[in-house]
Amino acid sequence: MIKFKLNGSVVETDAPSTVRLLDLLREEFELIGSKEGCGEGECGACSVLVDNLVQNSCLIPIGALEGTDVQTIEGYSKTPQYQVLNECYATAGGVQCGFCTPGMIIATEALLSKNPHPSEEEIREGISGNLCRCTGYNMIVDAIQLAAKKGDGLW
Amino acid sequence: MVTKTVASYHFDTLAETISKLNEEDCTIIAGGTDVMVLHKSRRGVAPKIAKPVVFIDHLRELKQTYLEDGDLHIGACCTYGEMLEHSLIPNIFKKAIREVAAPAIRNRGTLGGNICNASPAGDMLPLLYIFNAKLVLRSVNEDRIVEIHDFIQGPRRIARQQNELLVEIILPEVVNEARLIFEKIANRRADAISKVSFAGLLQVQAGKVADARFAFGAVGPTMVRSQETEKKLLSQVYPLKVEVLDEVVADFASIINPIDDQRSTAAYRKTVALKLLRYFLTSKELF
Repeated sequence: MIKFKLNGSVVETDAPSTVRLLDLLREEFELIGSKEGCGEGECGACSVLVDNLVQNSCLIPIGALEGTDVQTIEGYSKTPQYQVLNECYATAGGVQCGFCTPGMIIATEALLSKNPHPSEEEIREGISGNLCRCTGYNMIVDAIQLAAKKGDGLW
Repeated sequence: MVTKTVASYHFDTLAETISKLNEEDCTIIAGGTDVMVLHKSRRGVAPKIAKPVVFIDHLRELKQTYLEDGDLHIGACCTYGEMLEHSLIPNIFKKAIREVAAPAIRNRGTLGGNICNASPAGDMLPLLYIFNAKLVLRSVNEDRIVEIHDFIQGPRRIARQQNELLVEIILPEVVNEARLIFEKIANRRADAISKVSFAGLLQVQAGKVADARFAFGAVGPTMVRSQETEKKLLSQVYPLKVEVLDEVVADFASIINPIDDQRSTAAYRKTVALKLLRYFLTSKELF
């Protein structure tokens, strides 16, 4: 039995320890905000926060999660920080097809929580693990710059 | 989820982990960034790992970084992210980490994992080779110290016995004035596998070369380093004479034999590797 915190509640699962967190989230907990793009840690669509650090849920065997605190886009969407990101991504046109967006939002949170006023270069490094095939990234960078301004004090 | 279950272990202490390895041949999982991809199944199905699994990345004993007698000891399960934030980690390693891995990978990938995966393109390996890294392998019987170039024997082949665990990486003292370079050539700045990588160390004292070390990644089954060629540079006047420079580059041209694969071609890899060496030995910007 593996026990960890998921979006604020303690959960237990008897799934085998090598099951990927991504599969556990989507299939056992029906949290389908985290997406599978590449399944190899290169696209970032499955990003979640583990103990407040952004990680690829496709690379995490759930056995490694014992005692950790996992937050997915579903849990994060209940925070005031999310509200700012939601608004700024919409305003800047940082969302088109939306597949990369949950992961992009999680990577943005990880960046801003460490560095509330990042430079453009730091923003690009912060989202360097997240692929977006629609926006060309510039609008996402704009969205994050806007969020850093608007959310001043939140992060 | 239909999954065949293998035994899995998640011990509270390093001692228990090592004693389990003495009893059973296990697959060791640190961050999992390589193991989970290597054994990947289709969506919704757990990776197919045949042996029992031992998780080690939660072990605090494997996350210590400290100086002892001038040598830097880095715990095998230090993640790239933890190394980036640690004041004792040399800046050249931090530069390399920022260039090779996006934040999500930095938060899972470990230094020990990168070594034990023994990829020809392993991102930290060129630097570890030029730092003459030594590895501490612990078993119930003893601590054994192995040089990194003896430990890594080929792609995914390492000199770890079944009952051993890599617990620490030791970087012997590096002279502060050494000039260092790390360059990685890949399709993308983060999370891409190298076409070529290169690390160099050069120390010049009173206008002469006092120490020179070079390691090339992704151009052979393991890192390419030649202590014989490095020795030719010792006591040479710096800036190097053209003949000396040409001889060193020619030496490496004869031992660097890359392959064509999906990421790059042999010709491209070799050309870039030699240009990186020449750049390092002549660039004024670096110094």
